[in-house]
Amino acid sequence: MIRFLLARLGEVVGVMLAVSFLVYLVLEHDAASVAVKVIGQYSTEGQRALWLSENGYDAPFLVRYVTWLGRFVTGDWGSSTHFREQVTVLLPQHLARTGILAGTAFAIIVPVAFLFGIVAGVREGSWADRVVSFIAVATTSIPEFASAVFLSAIFVFWLGILPGASTMTSGFEWQQLVLPCLVIVLYDFGYVARMVRAAMADVMAQPYIRTALMKGASPARIVLRHALRNALVAPITVIMLQIPWLISGVLVTEVFFAYKGFGTLLYQACLNSDVALIEACAMTSVFVIVSTQLISDVLYTLLNPRIRFGLRRGEA
Amino acid sequence: MIRALLRALRRPGPAVGFAMVLLWVACALFAGWLAPYDPLKSQVPLQFPLDRAPDGGHFWLGTDLLGRDILSRLIHGARTVVLWASLAAASAYAVGIAGGLAAGFYRGPVDRVLSFFANTVLSFPVLVLYILIIVTIGASGLNIVLAVTFASAPAIFRIVRALAIDIASRDFVAAAITQGENALRIMVVDILPNASAPLIVDACLRLGYIAITIGTLGFLGLGLPPPTPDWGGMVNEGRGMAMVFPHLVVFPCIAISSLMLGLSLLADGLNEAARAGSRA
Amino acid sequence: MSILRTTSGRPAHPEVAAVADQLLKGAIDRRAFLRTVSLLGISAASAAAFAGLAGPAAAQETPKQGGTLRYGASIMEINDPMMITWTQPSNVARNVIEFLTQVDEENITHPHLAASWDPSADLTTWKFKLQPNVKWSNGDAFTTEDVAFNIRRWIAPESKSSNKSAFSAIKEVEVVNDLEFTLHLSRPTLAIPEMLFAYTCPMVHRKFIEQGGVWTKNPIGTGPYELVEFAVGQKATLKRKAAYWGTKVHLDEIRFIDLGTDVTASIQALASGQVDIVPSINTTDIDVVKRLPNATLLVGHAAQTICIRMQVTQKPFDDLRVRQAVVLAADNQKILELGYRGLGMAAENHHVAPFQPEYFKLPPVKRDVAKAKALLAEAGYKDGIDLSLVLGNTQGRWEQDCAQILQQQLAEAGIRMKLDVKPSSEFWPIWDKVPFGLTFWAHRPLAVMTLDLAYRGGGAWNESRFASAEFDAALNKATGIVDPKQRAQAMEAVERILQDAAVMVQPFWADRFGAMSTKVRGFRLHPATYNLLGNVWLA
Repeated sequence: MIRFLLARLGEVVGVMLAVSFLVYLVLEHDAASVAVKVIGQYSTEGQRALWLSENGYDAPFLVRYVTWLGRFVTGDWGSSTHFREQVTVLLPQHLARTGILAGTAFAIIVPVAFLFGIVAGVREGSWADRVVSFIAVATTSIPEFASAVFLSAIFVFWLGILPGASTMTSGFEWQQLVLPCLVIVLYDFGYVARMVRAAMADVMAQPYIRTALMKGASPARIVLRHALRNALVAPITVIMLQIPWLISGVLVTEVFFAYKGFGTLLYQACLNSDVALIEACAMTSVFVIVSTQLISDVLYTLLNPRIRFGLRRGEA
Repeated sequence: MIRALLRALRRPGPAVGFAMVLLWVACALFAGWLAPYDPLKSQVPLQFPLDRAPDGGHFWLGTDLLGRDILSRLIHGARTVVLWASLAAASAYAVGIAGGLAAGFYRGPVDRVLSFFANTVLSFPVLVLYILIIVTIGASGLNIVLAVTFASAPAIFRIVRALAIDIASRDFVAAAITQGENALRIMVVDILPNASAPLIVDACLRLGYIAITIGTLGFLGLGLPPPTPDWGGMVNEGRGMAMVFPHLVVFPCIAISSLMLGLSLLADGLNEAARAGSRA
Repeated sequence: MSILRTTSGRPAHPEVAAVADQLLKGAIDRRAFLRTVSLLGISAASAAAFAGLAGPAAAQETPKQGGTLRYGASIMEINDPMMITWTQPSNVARNVIEFLTQVDEENITHPHLAASWDPSADLTTWKFKLQPNVKWSNGDAFTTEDVAFNIRRWIAPESKSSNKSAFSAIKEVEVVNDLEFTLHLSRPTLAIPEMLFAYTCPMVHRKFIEQGGVWTKNPIGTGPYELVEFAVGQKATLKRKAAYWGTKVHLDEIRFIDLGTDVTASIQALASGQVDIVPSINTTDIDVVKRLPNATLLVGHAAQTICIRMQVTQKPFDDLRVRQAVVLAADNQKILELGYRGLGMAAENHHVAPFQPEYFKLPPVKRDVAKAKALLAEAGYKDGIDLSLVLGNTQGRWEQDCAQILQQQLAEAGIRMKLDVKPSSEFWPIWDKVPFGLTFWAHRPLAVMTLDLAYRGGGAWNESRFASAEFDAALNKATGIVDPKQRAQAMEAVERILQDAAVMVQPFWADRFGAMSTKVRGFRLHPATYNLLGNVWLA
């Protein structure tokens, strides 16, 4: 297990290095366009040339990359050209806000999705299954931008009971979290519920479950002791993949409600070609995502005892 | 597969879903004949549904800000979505399945290299990956296919790989290996069919998600270049006015949701039918 | 008939009498009169009285003191106020640090920190006198030492401020005493008082650099408010100071709230009462604002426009006939009606607006598709021509809407125009380099300012690469004339040369829109978006 963890950690570092190189390549291979983005479209050729030489852009690409990487690793992430602020100041605030939004949404999605998915999957074809499946299908079919339009039309413009913008500028207000959370939950819980249901139904159809049922074991005991544990394997991967989705998938919702989170920050950085900020955001999300994958792998191992680490195929 | 489809269509849910998908596919194929007007021609701005057109006909779903017939734009927009979403999904699945099977079966260095690449791509937030790719290489149908393949293939890869590892650790695969069966045969005959149930669900859903992604890109102003009719773009153009002219956003939202709903219902039916078939 | 008085009490500039004569003969309108004489140092009140206008309309309601105004704005960094590159941060700072002059919503220049100015007859020596008794928030007196520190910093050789080129005519800042200073110019410039209200020109304390050079960390100012809170991308809060040298302000607190770049979110915030003023909205948001029971729509006219320009040095636009064909196939009025919902005034492809003081009315341009086709055929494009227009929607989707209408119009003449829409950040690096592009041009009070930048041979922002000695000569002639009537006549040649060269389809002058809560009183849109909050109060 420790060897496995160490190997995975090495992989994590490798992935982050690869990503950093890709990001730097895409964003900064053309030094001249970086100058325009940083000092503005109305700058003169002379000013740009001066800026480029002042900031070491005369050096070859690889040298620039290594220099940049060195600065990045030591915590010098540069400053945002759009917000005119240090990236290390901007990023944590926005990340924390997305953490609140995504965390709240996730805390609703997982239990609801599991409850619905298990109820539906245990007895395939029952009316509970049909109702749950339909709800899951219908909600997942409405894109976030559509449900955001509809929900704000109803609750902001028509009923006037919820705030239409979630800027949180005068401190935290839970009312401002309701609409964005609702949009995310509506869109995402159906997908997870369907995955849980499919896995559950699969397991319930396995011969050993059917054998147990025929032997007269209580259905509740079967579900809890055998089916659930095996049914969790596939959805765990799916759920873990929802975390990175939540980090960027909240983008549309955040932009729509002007919620000052990580998604909005990234969107504005991309639209404004805010090089330093995109780099920092990309590396941050890479870190979060790679960590979730690591956790997902560990969970996967613990749940499926047939996989042994350190053993090759054929040796088991 | 065809038999599974026929069996699935006996139930109302999948039948309705199939009909919805078929409707949009028909719109995509015969847009030129079905659309009452030229989707690009400005006539009278901001007409409500059922208003009279200058030529004596009707704007059944009203007109947009630039006076273009919304029904015609929806029908032509189906072509954009159906064509590019299915191309993109097919391409992503080809890449993802091939990689996932190989990684899950062989493990070891193959798995490590492929997983490393997949992890590298997957460690980007998906939507941002799309935005970055589209901003860098420009918005066009082909670039959307490229972006979707690049961004979704690794996710498919991971699902296939996880399933393949699970299945490969089962006894019948171990037996096949002991009998010295050809590796490709084991992957395609023994592993893939056993992984197909969750994959079919995922494939139909993913097709819908790709349609939504194309819509979202349009919504964020990064869709196909104007004046190509594009459902997400229509929502984006109209949403500021949705309170006064709801028809600008309601119909494109219904269009994209119904395509997604149709695909999901169909996926459900296929899934159940396939499993019922394997049980029988 | 009342008498024209200078704010300084010194004799008026010699041209004032001639301009006044023009007004009396009906040769120029009152607005052109007010704008010209206010630049020459005549007090706005005496000019208005002379022109037979009532003084500032007496408010119908007595302003109420107190309250907090919430204003939707992008909160960007303000390290060095002279380096600001956008009007939005300047609107946040405007109520804390002040300007020597103030240009109002009617483009009329008023004294502010500078109580008066007197230009010499040749407009190259400008004597300024400061308002006495102005105090910085740290207790220091505001003197010419501060003014000299600021202006010298703007024009210093190492200055990176855009003020450096804007004030390149300034040779020397001469400090006469604590309250008087003189600007010596290398060439006559009438617009100096107006230029001093540019958003990069607020007065900062003379020890600004010594004390760190980061304004938000040490926000000393002469204005009625102090900055108490500032977070980039989020909010900025201003509180009213106990003492202020100028006209009393009404609001206790101004809270700037960053609502993101999406206007729809701002409107949602207005609808749910989270914000009082949304200073800039799109034409597509108008209907919603009109429906909101708690909101008022703000409309402003401004000389802002889009130019769909062709580079005369690039194929196929090096052929005048191709450019003429594009211009003839376009229907400016229709582009305005469909692309901008008719909210503005059709323009005439020469970038001078009817409401700018030097405008000369040329005969109207008529759409002629047959002639466009004929010209194309003559130029060797019998089967039509394929063009690609680059645009960046820098102001919103309406740019793309207008381009789509033009696309349909050009198609009728056999011109197949493709649209290449780029994100604005990708568009800015190439805006003046693409052969065929759509550019937004912001409001400028005088048309010659734009013409100088954009169409003079070798001009800094000459995006069409248009170069004509004849045009430059005509423009020089017009720029040197103070008298609005004579200047307008001199503009006939300028406008005609540019129009005949067919370098662009400049379809219309776009109105500006904003929205505010019905509680807000005394707020108007400023044509240059320098929104003033001095008279604003909450009912």
